[in-house]
Amino acid sequence: MFKGQAVTFPSCGVIKGLLETQLSVFPAHQSYLHRRFQDAGDVELAFVEKLATLILKITDGRAASYAADYRWLAETVLEEECEFRRTGRYRHSSFDEVEKIVYADRAFMTRYMNGLLLSQLWWRNHTEVMRFFCDVFLPGKVQQFTHLEIGPGHGLFLYFAAAAPGCTAVTGWDVSPASIDLVRNVHRLLGLTRPVALELINMFDAPQQHFDSITFSEVLEHLEEPSLALRTIFNLVKPGGRAFINAPVNSPAPDHISLFRTPEDVVALVRDAGFEIEQTLFSPTTGATLARARKLSLTISAAVIGRKPANAHDH
Amino acid sequence: MTIDNAVFAKLTEIARTLFDEYQGPWTPALRSEDVEQWDSLATVQFAVMVEQAFNIRFSTDEIVRLDNLGAIASIVAQKKA
Repeated sequence: MFKGQAVTFPSCGVIKGLLETQLSVFPAHQSYLHRRFQDAGDVELAFVEKLATLILKITDGRAASYAADYRWLAETVLEEECEFRRTGRYRHSSFDEVEKIVYADRAFMTRYMNGLLLSQLWWRNHTEVMRFFCDVFLPGKVQQFTHLEIGPGHGLFLYFAAAAPGCTAVTGWDVSPASIDLVRNVHRLLGLTRPVALELINMFDAPQQHFDSITFSEVLEHLEEPSLALRTIFNLVKPGGRAFINAPVNSPAPDHISLFRTPEDVVALVRDAGFEIEQTLFSPTTGATLARARKLSLTISAAVIGRKPANAHDH
Repeated sequence: MTIDNAVFAKLTEIARTLFDEYQGPWTPALRSEDVEQWDSLATVQFAVMVEQAFNIRFSTDEIVRLDNLGAIASIVAQKKA
């Protein structure tokens, strides 16, 4: 396949405007974004448009600034990629290290979160995981359910859960006051009217509560003890309830400390915590097939839906 | 620009693995913009595969400039000399 041929981009809607904004601040990304959308079907594009509409609202008139933050994120990840390819490991391995470099740096965190918001559109695996959550996880729930998200990040998963029919109570836990403020602001910008309990809680010190469903997306790779985290989540899910676990494989980033080398590693962790595996999605990075991503150790998002057996005992 | 044939052959072998959808000619004039899969992320992956194959190390500035096969072959030959 040669470059320089017709460039395939969505040609209308909110996504078109966001793409133009992104390319105006990051023209070198044209080829990548072309690959991102060249094989997208109508169903995927409809979901992308829905997501783009929400994201445009969140940018609140500052789409160009978010696009610049995305460019910075892409360049930051590239540096980590270089380190990862050379050493076969992530740069950092302890929470304390990344706490100083990333989490305690508010300016860094803001750019990081803004960039990640746009990655929901520009990184195919991120879009696919979000779609899997909306189309497979949420509709598979019992008629009425309580929901918790631990580490809600940009707040979109929590927004979709709050909007799902039958959701009677929505809770988000985070260890960062800044993250909680961010999610609260995102929900305000999206016009979410139902109450969402956003609480400053460390999952490892959580009060005894139980939920019908829990989301834990892109958190596992930030933890020193992912197995302990999954056992903790298992205890927080009601018997018969479900968890949505999403973690990237071979995905170097400034704050990733636990390296999973295959999607099966992630599935095994979820199973070992006691969950029955209901469904999985292995979504490779933009432009790669799953086979190619495995062969070259490229990023793959591993999303796992686990169910806690009705007769299960807690850890 | 004089190209070391052995270096170029080894480079091409690596490039074929990474850019497996490219079906055009593999010549020293081949540029990143000619190959659909050759984006910035692939440049880093390519650079590190070349480093490992030739037991050399590129600087960050060099990696950014690794955008055509002939130039890469030339830099590799200089580093190996």
